[in-house]
This record gives sequence, structure tokens and C-alpha cells, in this order.
Amino acid sequence: MKTPLAFALAAVVLAALAAAPLFIPDYWTGVLLGMTGYVALATAWALFSGPTRYVSLATVAFFGVGAYTVAVLNEVLPYPLVLLCAGGIGAAMALVVGLSTLRLAGVYFVIFTFGLAELVRQTVSWWEVNVTYTMGRYVFLPFEGRHIYWQLLALAAVTLLISWAIGRSRLGLALKAIGDDETVAAHAGINVTRIKLMLFVISATLITLVGAIQAPRWTYIEPSIVFNPTVSFMTLIMALLGGAMRLWGPLVGAVPLFLLFEWLSVSFPDHFSIILGLLFILIVFVMPQGVLAKLEDLRGRGKP
Amino acid sequence: MSAELHLSHLHKRFGGLVAVRDVSFSLAPGEVVGLLGPNGSGKTTVMNMISGALPCDGGSVKVGTTDITRMKPHRVAKHGVARTFQLVRPLPTLTVGENVMLSLAFGKKRHWGREARDLAEEKLAFVGLEGRGGEQVGNLTYIDQKRMEMARALASEPDILLLDEWLAGLNPSELSIGIELVRHLQGQGITVLLVEHIMEAVRALCSRCIVMSAGEVIAEGPSAEVLARPAVIKAYLGDDHA
Amino acid sequence: MLEHVVNGLVLGGTYALVAMGLTIQYGIARIMNLSFGDTIIAACFATWLMFTGLALSPILALVVLVPAGYALSLVVYRFIMKPLVDRAPDEGALEVDSILVTFGLLFVIQGVLLTLFGGGYTSYSYLNSPVNVLGTTVAANRLLALALSLAIGAALVVVLFRTRWGMTLRAVALAPQSAPLYGIDTNRAARTAFAIGGALACTGGVVLSMFQTFTATGGVVFTMKALIVVILGGKGSVPGAIVAGLLLGLVETFVAAYIDPGLTLAAVYTVFLALLLVRPNGLFGKA
Repeated sequence: MKTPLAFALAAVVLAALAAAPLFIPDYWTGVLLGMTGYVALATAWALFSGPTRYVSLATVAFFGVGAYTVAVLNEVLPYPLVLLCAGGIGAAMALVVGLSTLRLAGVYFVIFTFGLAELVRQTVSWWEVNVTYTMGRYVFLPFEGRHIYWQLLALAAVTLLISWAIGRSRLGLALKAIGDDETVAAHAGINVTRIKLMLFVISATLITLVGAIQAPRWTYIEPSIVFNPTVSFMTLIMALLGGAMRLWGPLVGAVPLFLLFEWLSVSFPDHFSIILGLLFILIVFVMPQGVLAKLEDLRGRGKP
Repeated sequence: MSAELHLSHLHKRFGGLVAVRDVSFSLAPGEVVGLLGPNGSGKTTVMNMISGALPCDGGSVKVGTTDITRMKPHRVAKHGVARTFQLVRPLPTLTVGENVMLSLAFGKKRHWGREARDLAEEKLAFVGLEGRGGEQVGNLTYIDQKRMEMARALASEPDILLLDEWLAGLNPSELSIGIELVRHLQGQGITVLLVEHIMEAVRALCSRCIVMSAGEVIAEGPSAEVLARPAVIKAYLGDDHA
Repeated sequence: MLEHVVNGLVLGGTYALVAMGLTIQYGIARIMNLSFGDTIIAACFATWLMFTGLALSPILALVVLVPAGYALSLVVYRFIMKPLVDRAPDEGALEVDSILVTFGLLFVIQGVLLTLFGGGYTSYSYLNSPVNVLGTTVAANRLLALALSLAIGAALVVVLFRTRWGMTLRAVALAPQSAPLYGIDTNRAARTAFAIGGALACTGGVVLSMFQTFTATGGVVFTMKALIVVILGGKGSVPGAIVAGLLLGLVETFVAAYIDPGLTLAAVYTVFLALLLVRPNGLFGKA
């Protein structure tokens, strides 16, 4: 498809999605909201982890920091400034994590991100109990579901746009090369550490913003609510199902899985995490490269 | 203008083992020089120290007047040094053309877009892979992978090219193609350091040779003369042949 | 002061023990097992069940659960890990695949534990009588835990470094490509290593449950600590795991005693980062 045509089509779809809350019941706006949130999360996650193959298990650490920043600052600062602060804190945290682990082999990064959410959750709890003497905070912002939805939709579109732009730039080429062979990439003139760090910070900042925008949904926030490890897990599984190496992959994975999870969590609230885990193992087994690659594979085999 | 390469008193230890001891030599602009020696004599270690893949424990590496001793590989590449690897290392998720474009995009001049595509095609044509930029790397034959790796190295527009056993593993007819290619490089004014075991190639290409054994330079001079020295024959074949 | 040293050593001994399991799984079977901590928690609950339900002492639980952990790990390896090992084109691909699959497994085990036992903190009282050690009092169960950790850890070190079988395993850890040339069955070594790791996780769980409270969702933290111990000690190094485990136990106990119990994980992370910056290959790792 020609690029201008694809853009026109994307704009039409986006407009239709933006208009949807005016015509559908509130419940479905809520579903759309959650789904859009995960599309943004999975796409932002894949931005860094897809091409470099550095599996980040810390999605919820950034997501939670975003939400919690809003909880702390929503009565102190005007909303746009609160979002700016959240993004800044997320970026700074990503910079520290990245600087300390991205120079080393990929496995150190995975291990570090694995416990990061728990670390941040415990540290925030400790701070609240011992320093500010508050546990749990209220978010009073004049937003209804659709307002949050529109913000998330805009963020998801921006995330996809960033992902598209990077994929076409020399940065995208460099990332793929780094995922294949860091030594060769470095000898071709690529500053491997700097590029990894840059992408990780961009990805983490977007994830932080998703958390910040969603914060008003909860009204009441405490660390155990916003640092729920299931968020990291669902993001990962969605991106993998769709294919983390492709622009549309995370979206293709996020939409059906979100609907499935929504149904599962209502139908089997007690066994949700077991089903989630089994599904995840199945996906790793059957579609290591994601649905899109699988489809291409099948189409390729269909040809003589 | 092509810069020359100076190594002085290069030193490298791995734990208790001294892999490279006090190695010094220079390459003049446009020269093709062979770096020889039996397995384990430290040739590849020297290559890795020049390209920045390994830090030096002592000594210095200069390109022209620039000291590149402590530079990381990506900065060394920007100073006009490119290399190939002992075992060919293609990037499998990139196409043949993208493999080459990578060095164009991040090399000395940072080409991108249409210009980079044209230049990549030009480099591919130079190594004999004309019009094959769209292919998957995994579908290339061994010699074609080696050609692609050469095109990738050339795409960073180097003054100095390090070839680490680039001709190894080729059959006789491929070998003569390979030798021709390296000879073409010389015509372009690129300085080449060639680590090689195939004497036929060394005699055909290198005006001068440096021979290493057990981490030290044991001989240096015009190829024919150096290869006839008893010390060199001894290092390669053992005492009986000296 | 001395009390904290003893408590730190007890905790550290357990960390060292479970980290040995993880380092063996990672070093020999090349599987980075993120569900390791949940295996430990499962063993804690099993011990608790035997103790409160059947009035069996934890020592007896050890006799039952350790072989069970070994056998179950063999099954997991056969049906989940082996297909991944077979399809992985290189070590990096296996690392990523194993991280993903065990991440899924983590949620399965955690989900089962939550369904069976709920999310509350659980503990039982076994040998809770005070004993006088060098002038301070320590609970008897802690001393027993330390003794068990040391005995089992030492036995493992002897097996790994003094027997032919141990040498086979170490050979696979050092040179997976060349080990088959010496007639070593690397598949079998990997399977065995994974199972030993599982057995050690169960041992750790039984020992830990004697003196600590545990919860179904606590596995992540144990995996994290075991991983940190493995990294600090140097990948695949058993002596490294022991030293790093003891160190971590001491750091945690002292931070909890003198600063704040809520900051132990933060302290652990700080130690991890500080050491990574100074020695990227761990205390006993090779460059």
C-alpha cells in the first residue's frame, strides 16, 4: 500500500474510534479504554524489546510510577504539568536502570527488570508509611471514561507513529542489527549502548504516560493496586502473540487478548492467573515469532 | 588521502597468558600487508585490538596522527578502520542490501535514503552481488556471504581494511575470485592488513609480510624473502624442516 | 549485634542453598528459571500442609519433598524445556525462550497456590524454643535450618568437585560444545541439572518454612534474590553462590535491624548494582 493512502486509512479509523464513545454505552467505552491502553503499552514495549530482544519485565514499574505520580501531584499542579512530571520521572528512572544494566549482557537487564516493579512498590510503600504518613491517595480529576479514552487513543496513535518513524529511520536499522549481533553492529560504527539506552528511555516514558493517563480511572490509588505484576505479563504476552518485531504486531495481539482476558476475568475470577500462564506458555511454544510472522509463513508455504 | 596505521609496543594478557607481546609495525598508505603466523600466535588478538573489540593492556594504535588505542569499536569505525570476521557474521534479520546499508548509515559519512540505497547497490556490484540486495542473507552461499561481508566493510568507506582469514574455506575457483577482489581494493587506495593462512593468496597479494609466533613478531619484510627465512619455516612447521 | 549475625547467616545459608540450585540450572541446563521462587513457595506450603495436617516434622517432609521436587522437575524438563532446547538455534534464543516460558510457569504455580491456600501470610511453629548461642538467644528452628543448609550445600559441593558424575556436570557447564566429544551425554546432564535445581528449590522451601512466614505471591522476591546471588557469585559458580548468599543474608538482616525492614529489597538491589558496576562478572566470575 502506498504510504499516503495508508495514512488516510489510519486517520479514518482513528476518527471512527474517537467518535465511538458518543454512540456506544459506557460499559463498552470502558472496554475500548482498557484495550487502547494495552495497545499503547504493548506497542511501546515492543519499540525497545522487539528488535533488541532485551525482554523487559518491568512494564508495570513504569506504568505504576506514572499512575502514582498523578496520585501524588493531582491536587498540587495543573494536569498537563502533572503528565509532564510523570513522563520526566519515568524517563529518569529508565535512564538509571538503562545506564546500569544495558552495558552488560542482556540477561542482567532481564533480571534487573524482573524485580524492579517489586522494588519500586516496596520503596514507595516505605516512603508513604515512614515519610509522608499516608497510605493510599485519592485522584480527583474531572474526567469521565471517554476523556481518558481520548487521551489514551491519542497516546496510542503517537506511539504507533513513533514506532513507524523509527522503523524507517537508520535508528530502526541499527536496532535490528543490535538484536542480531552487537559486535558486528559496533564495528559498523553504531554506538550500541547509546542507541539501546535511547530506545529504552523512549519506550519507558510512553509506558509511564499510559499509567499516568489511566490513573483517574481508579479514584483511589495505593501501591499494591498500580504495581500489579499482571500488567507486565499481559503486555508481554500481547506483544509476543502479535509479533514484537512488526509495527502492527503488538496491536494485533492486544485487541483479541484484551477481549479474551476481559471475558476470562469475569468468568473465571479465581483461576485467572493459571489460565493466563498456560496461555502464555502455549503462545511461546506455538508462535515464537508472533501471529503476523506465522501468517506470512503459512502464506509462503501455500505458494508453489 | 589514505591514512597509515601505526602499532607500537602493543601488549595483551589473558589471565597468566601473554597473547601479544610488544608488537610494533606500520602500514604505508595503500599497502597490502600479510599478517602471518601459526594458530594461537596472536594475529586475531592484534586485529581485535586495532578494531577496538579488545582493550589493549599496553602500547598504542594510531591511524595517521590520531590515537585510537582506547576507542570503542564504533569510534574506531568512524576513523576509517573496517574489518571482516574470522567466521563470517551476517545479520540474519536484515536483507543483503540492509547489511551493507548499515555501514553506510553509521560509517564515516552517514548516508541515508535513496543515496544510501544507490551506494549499497554500488558496493554490492563491486563484490559481484549485483542486483541481489533484496535477498535474505540465509539464502546466500558461503562465498556470497563472504562477498556481502566485504561489501559491508567497504560501505563504511574505510582507509584501512582488516581482513581476518577472509579467504579461508573457499574452493580453488572461489579463491581466485577472492584474490582478484582484494587486488581491486588495492587499486582503490585502501590499506589492507590481511591475516591469512593461504600462502598462495599471500604471495599473490602482499608485497610485505609480518610473521608472528607466540605473541611476538619474529620476522618482517618483503614476502618472498620473509617466507624463506628459517625462523619462519620453523615457527610454522617445526624444527625438522628448518 | 551477634544475634543479627547469627540470623543473617541463617537467612544467608538458605539463600546460598537455593541460589546453588538456580546457578546449576542456569549454568548446566542453560535455563534461566523465573519460576524458581514459586517452586520454593510451593515447597513451603507442602511442608506446612504436612506439618499441620499430618503432624509430620519438616525433616520428614524433606525426605518426601526433595525426591518429589527432583521427579517433578524431570517432568517439567521433558515436556516444557526439552522442546525449547531442541528448537533453539543458539544459546541466546534458548535463554529468551526459557525466560518467557518460566515467566508463564510462574503465573501458573502462583495461581494454583492462590486457589489452594489464598493470599494470606502463613507460618507454623516448629522447634520454636530459644537456644543460647555465644551469649545470645536464637530459635532452635533457625539453627536447624542453618545446619541443614550447610550440610546439604557441603554435600553438593563434594559431589560436584569430588566425583566423576560431578565432573561430567561441570564439564557440560564449561564447554557444552566439546563435552559430547568426550562421550558425555549433554542432554542427560542438562536434565539432571535441571532436576537437581528443582530438588534444591524444594530443600530451600522446607528449610525456609521452618523459620519464616510465606505467602503465595512471595515467589518473585525469592527468585529475584536467588538471581542476584547467582549474578553476584558469578554465573555457574557454586562457591560464588555460597559466599554471595551469606553476604546477602547478612546485608538484609542488618538493614532490617538497623535501618528499616521495609528497605531490605532496596538494599539488596543497591548491593547488586554496586557490585555490577565494580565487577560485571561477579565475585568469582571469569572475564
